[in-house]
Amino acid sequence: MNLIEILSYGFIQRALLAGTLIAVLCSVLGVFLVLRRLSLIGDGLAHVTFGSTAIALALQLYSAASLLVSLPVVLLASLGILKLTEKARLNGDAAIGIVSAVGISIGIMLASVGGGYNVDLLSYLFGNILSISYEEVIIAAGLFCVVMVLLWLFFHDLLAISFNEELARVSGVRTNLISAVLVMLTALSVVLAMKLVGIMLISSLLILPAVSALQLARSFRACIVLAALQGGCSVVAGIFVSFLTNLPTSAMIVMINLLFFCCSCGVRRLITIRNIG
Amino acid sequence: MKRLNMVIILAVAVAVVFAGCSRQEQKESAKLQVVATLFPLYDFARTIAGDRAEVTMLLPPGMEPHSFEPKPNDIVRISRAGMFIYTNRYMEPWAESLLKGMDRQRLRVVDAGQGVQYLQNVAGDEHDHDVPGNHGAEGHAGVVDPHIWLDFSNAALMVDNILAGFIAVDPANAAYYRMNAAGLKGRLAALDQRYREGLADCATRVFLHGGHYTFGYLARRYGLEYHSLSGISSESEPSAARMAEMVRQIRSSGVHYLFAEELLSPRLTDTLAAEAGVAVLKLHGAHNLGKDDVQRGVGFIDLMEQNLVNLRKGLACRSK
Amino acid sequence: MPVEIVATERLACGYREGYVLEDISFTVNAGDYVGIVGPNGSGKSTLVQALLGLVPISSGSARLFGSRCDNFSQWGRIGYLPQSLHLLNPIFPATVAETVALGLLSLKRFPRRLTRQDRETVETTLDVLGVYDIRSKLIGELSGGQQQRVLLARALVNDPELLILDEPTAALDPETRERFYHMIADVNRSRGVTVLLVTHDTGVIGQHASKMLYLDKRMLFYGGFDDFCHSPEMSSLFGEHSQHLMCHRH
Repeated sequence: MNLIEILSYGFIQRALLAGTLIAVLCSVLGVFLVLRRLSLIGDGLAHVTFGSTAIALALQLYSAASLLVSLPVVLLASLGILKLTEKARLNGDAAIGIVSAVGISIGIMLASVGGGYNVDLLSYLFGNILSISYEEVIIAAGLFCVVMVLLWLFFHDLLAISFNEELARVSGVRTNLISAVLVMLTALSVVLAMKLVGIMLISSLLILPAVSALQLARSFRACIVLAALQGGCSVVAGIFVSFLTNLPTSAMIVMINLLFFCCSCGVRRLITIRNIG
Repeated sequence: MKRLNMVIILAVAVAVVFAGCSRQEQKESAKLQVVATLFPLYDFARTIAGDRAEVTMLLPPGMEPHSFEPKPNDIVRISRAGMFIYTNRYMEPWAESLLKGMDRQRLRVVDAGQGVQYLQNVAGDEHDHDVPGNHGAEGHAGVVDPHIWLDFSNAALMVDNILAGFIAVDPANAAYYRMNAAGLKGRLAALDQRYREGLADCATRVFLHGGHYTFGYLARRYGLEYHSLSGISSESEPSAARMAEMVRQIRSSGVHYLFAEELLSPRLTDTLAAEAGVAVLKLHGAHNLGKDDVQRGVGFIDLMEQNLVNLRKGLACRSK
Repeated sequence: MPVEIVATERLACGYREGYVLEDISFTVNAGDYVGIVGPNGSGKSTLVQALLGLVPISSGSARLFGSRCDNFSQWGRIGYLPQSLHLLNPIFPATVAETVALGLLSLKRFPRRLTRQDRETVETTLDVLGVYDIRSKLIGELSGGQQQRVLLARALVNDPELLILDEPTAALDPETRERFYHMIADVNRSRGVTVLLVTHDTGVIGQHASKMLYLDKRMLFYGGFDDFCHSPEMSSLFGEHSQHLMCHRH
């Protein structure tokens, strides 16, 4: 099958467009999250989304309307993770674990006491990169713009708190505010992007491009750019390889990210060996 | 499955305590208690039971069978019941572990699919011609299609199996149960006849489904050429290539409608339909009912009548 | 009339377990070089962290440049080099130049963007502190001494009026340590930057400090360096030999 033909399908065009935008924004956010030891926040917030979607369905709010419940709940949960790390002196992974477990149990409880639903909850929860509609491409583009503009505005503040929180505060950075901005941007991205491309893709795109870039980057700026490049390229490559191999697209994108990560580790080893030799 | 086992052990523990506490207060109903897993079984069993036994359904409304996790109450219900009905081990692989620890002397377990001729390899690829007229998309060889109730002769066989259970557990009411079962089988036969006639003269026999493989039995019985987007396993996801292939299939077959399954998210179906420029029609797999349908008291035959209406529309069938 | 830079009155800090610091009152004037000494766990780091608003004040008051520490906002006038350098994430991918540039944020308002002029300021500072050649290296690849110099550059890049250093030489070898103190002294003398230095290096501090603050939960001494050397109380605390070593200016 040739390239032109593959590109003639509307769903492929939309997958490439929305997928790349989401991948780039997840990869960039991921660099900050990995450095702040909040790598698993994507999975955690996805579980909270499951819980909040159960609330929404119990209130008879479907698809788009369910966001009215999910968004505020997940934003609050993200702040909850932050508060747990600050006030209860928990590590990020423990805080995420707590919030995620509570989220999923609320979902399971509601699914049981609510007397069931009109639809299967799980099947509505996760999108698929191949089933993105025109409206959702616009949502993805809007999300991309919002996240990128905020990251641009707060870039140095985010860099400062990731580097060292004490030093950041003495430089006049409002560390609590900036941390809140970071996790809330993540929450927004998880809630919206999960419905578009599914949670497996989101959580892996928050981690893998960032850790690969950390292997190779020679500056913070380069790290961000490398992560964004890997995220974007992995989606494009994943869609085409999925076409050639007839394997599921999301899983293929994750595997390509893993491949990139292995290559980064290899290159880093080579550089280290050469420097020693 | 490990997680499910844990849940069950916990649930049984809680249930034992629970049952012990509430035994005195709750007066034991003299009626036979029956628990059925999925909707078709529940509907058949309650028709056969009439007013002589109480039938409940295990799955909460709207839920896909594979998302099911038992609650302590479910275990209590089963432990109190005299009969437990499930479809088959392919549909409810969790049934077996659910029944572990139950008193099998008191509880009669009915495998409603006993004696049914299962479709094998249905989810094999396009080159698999073991079962003419049935093509799934992807999947693994040797996959068995568990949706047996969608072939109404199988449904009648399931009615027989359930009836045998009732007679064994409650022989005193055997005649009553037999009468109800005979009525139900008559209605199923009539339904089968309406399908046969309704689908006899259609503009196309290509039945395209933008979801997981479900309607293979139905298609085989009425000589339709069934293609689904993806295989039986609800975890499987289609590849980009399979999506494109399906779009070409829709276009080349000249159909005007693509089918989606009720209760499940129609995202992928909608995408395919938009791509190929066709409309979407819903069919009910009948594993379960939505909450609203439960309240309306919809039955299996009602669902199938609605399916026939949509199928006839989708395949452009003419009335005789 | 000396200009007051730091002032505390009956300052106390503490957690639930009791006060870590109690009854601290002192004033630092422009151009002072204050050495803050005292035994381990005497509250030296807590004192500077309280001044910077990093730990809450329990009672009393503290002022920086005349405004209360708990709502201080003129961060551009301060340079800070913390003790907890080991907390720096070794895989953090920032270059030396990027790290130093972060010191300029205190001069910026939202949105904090760096200009070309800022980059020139960074390069000048890197040059002054002798780390220009390693400006493109990652901070995690440097030796302890280099890292410390980079962080000093970060603390000085905004041209602060007050430099607060918390045991800055803990990880350094003696020779590097010597050079580091000369650099601080030079900043104090030539630019008139007020310096607060928490240290264990009583031997070196004597060469540079103009005032001494001896802390052991309470403030046991605060005054000029010469008074410190002639205080019989300090002599008994340090032992005469140590006091002599400290006070013997080369």
